[in-house]
Amino acid sequence: MLLANNGFVNDARSAASGKGMPGVRVIGTPIACESTVAEDIRAGIDGALDEIIAALIDPLTEEEESPEKFVETPSRIAFKGTLGEVNEFYYRKGWGDGLPILPPSEEAVAEMLTGTDLPADHVVAKLIPRMGKATVEKIAVNAVMAGALPTHMPLLIAVVDALSDPKTRFDTFEVSTGSWAPLVVVNGPVRNDIRINCSSGMMSPGDIANAAIGRAVGLIVKNIGGARKGIEDMGTLGDAMKYSLVIGENEENSPWEPLHVDFGYGKEDSTVTVMFPNRYTQTIPAQTTPEGIASTLAGMGPGALSCMIVIPDHARIFSQEGWSKKQVKEFIMENSGRRDSRRAGRLQDEDFMLVVAGGPGVWMGLLGSAGGFGNSFVTRKIELPQSWDVLKKKYGTMVPDYVRY
Amino acid sequence: MRRFFPVSAVTGIAVMAIFSWSGCSPSGDAAETRYEVLSPWAEVDPIPLRGISARVDTLEGKKIGLFANFKRAAVPIAREVEKKLKERFPDSEISLYHSTAPNVDESVEPDAAKFEAWAKELDAVIAMVGD
Repeated sequence: MLLANNGFVNDARSAASGKGMPGVRVIGTPIACESTVAEDIRAGIDGALDEIIAALIDPLTEEEESPEKFVETPSRIAFKGTLGEVNEFYYRKGWGDGLPILPPSEEAVAEMLTGTDLPADHVVAKLIPRMGKATVEKIAVNAVMAGALPTHMPLLIAVVDALSDPKTRFDTFEVSTGSWAPLVVVNGPVRNDIRINCSSGMMSPGDIANAAIGRAVGLIVKNIGGARKGIEDMGTLGDAMKYSLVIGENEENSPWEPLHVDFGYGKEDSTVTVMFPNRYTQTIPAQTTPEGIASTLAGMGPGALSCMIVIPDHARIFSQEGWSKKQVKEFIMENSGRRDSRRAGRLQDEDFMLVVAGGPGVWMGLLGSAGGFGNSFVTRKIELPQSWDVLKKKYGTMVPDYVRY
Repeated sequence: MRRFFPVSAVTGIAVMAIFSWSGCSPSGDAAETRYEVLSPWAEVDPIPLRGISARVDTLEGKKIGLFANFKRAAVPIAREVEKKLKERFPDSEISLYHSTAPNVDESVEPDAAKFEAWAKELDAVIAMVGD
């Protein structure tokens, strides 16, 4: 039997079912999560002891002994109705994210599928915790719901593939109390093809690629992976970054080789790099000298794993004074007081990445995750369909036309 | 571009949807169009189901395993459970297994043999996850 905090009973039952043992007996206690208070633990166990003993000695029910095979055969067509009815139905089914969705009709999904040469039934990965089959069609359905464009499909397929890499430790971060959000850093020519914002306000709402790709990832995690808030995704506080956290590197305004080249890809390749931060902080340097900027970056407390965002102006200052990206990283490693709580030793090169991004200004950013889980940054090459040039022309011209006032 | 709405239209849809949900559907074609929509919920391959182990009739004289994961409360909770069980069943034997690495499956390498050897000796197991 399993003993868990009352709030984790559903999570424990889902996990047991996912392993093929739905009958595992789970007893809830009011003991605070990760409690360090002896009296809290004593009182909690006192209150649960009779149930614990009963769970170990009460004879099995028929269902516990031989659970019935439950074979879920979800219908491909989920519903028929008006826009409002579709939204209400999906919301009530728990398939949304709280915002209205676009209806994933057969026609809209077919159009989304023009964004890839892979067949609709191709399984890109099985996503945990439910081991849901991420077929190309299911990815497309969720992409339509999120308001994504067919030109976003190649990125979504690459992200799903990256998430299935054990090195991401998606199994931990996706459902953790820490509310970690999937960060997608886009590199290569595809950024411009689909107009990923790499400059001013790239993390703010307003750009369809940054917004819809991240939103689609969130829906995929929920509807394909089966990580539902408060049931399997046990994020204590939650995280607004789970709505969307997609950025591009501002390669054109960086004096350094881009991130994906650091990771061994060609400059002309397009890639996504994935990690799971749960904190985002911004600050300004005391001095805009290379030492001043680097000291402030080090002082932001990067731990393993971190994504440090250096704005193009600061990268230019570094470069003009002869600082390579490697030298900046070495300075940060040498001067960062931060140590990873789960691992001894100073910050290592592989613990953090530098991304040149953002617009004019003086701010720098840190997206912080956690290390020590055997996790690392995971990069995947984006495979574009043969019709990419046609798709680019069709969808790549859509930009907001802001009126001057 | 026909079937994908610009951002301004998405905002419009949001407004319409909210009106619709509150029983104030706007009039017009957009609100009346009916959609046959596909399910976003993924299929899964069926997995073989297993029943849980038969229960013991008493804990007296039995060897009870306490599995504590890496979280800091897991071992203190296990120790408290041990204390209480020993008070109630003085002839029981308690064996603690502490999984120190974060979120690993002890039944797979590299500790599988150690874990299996521990589990084989037990009559009953209580798992503590610290949450």
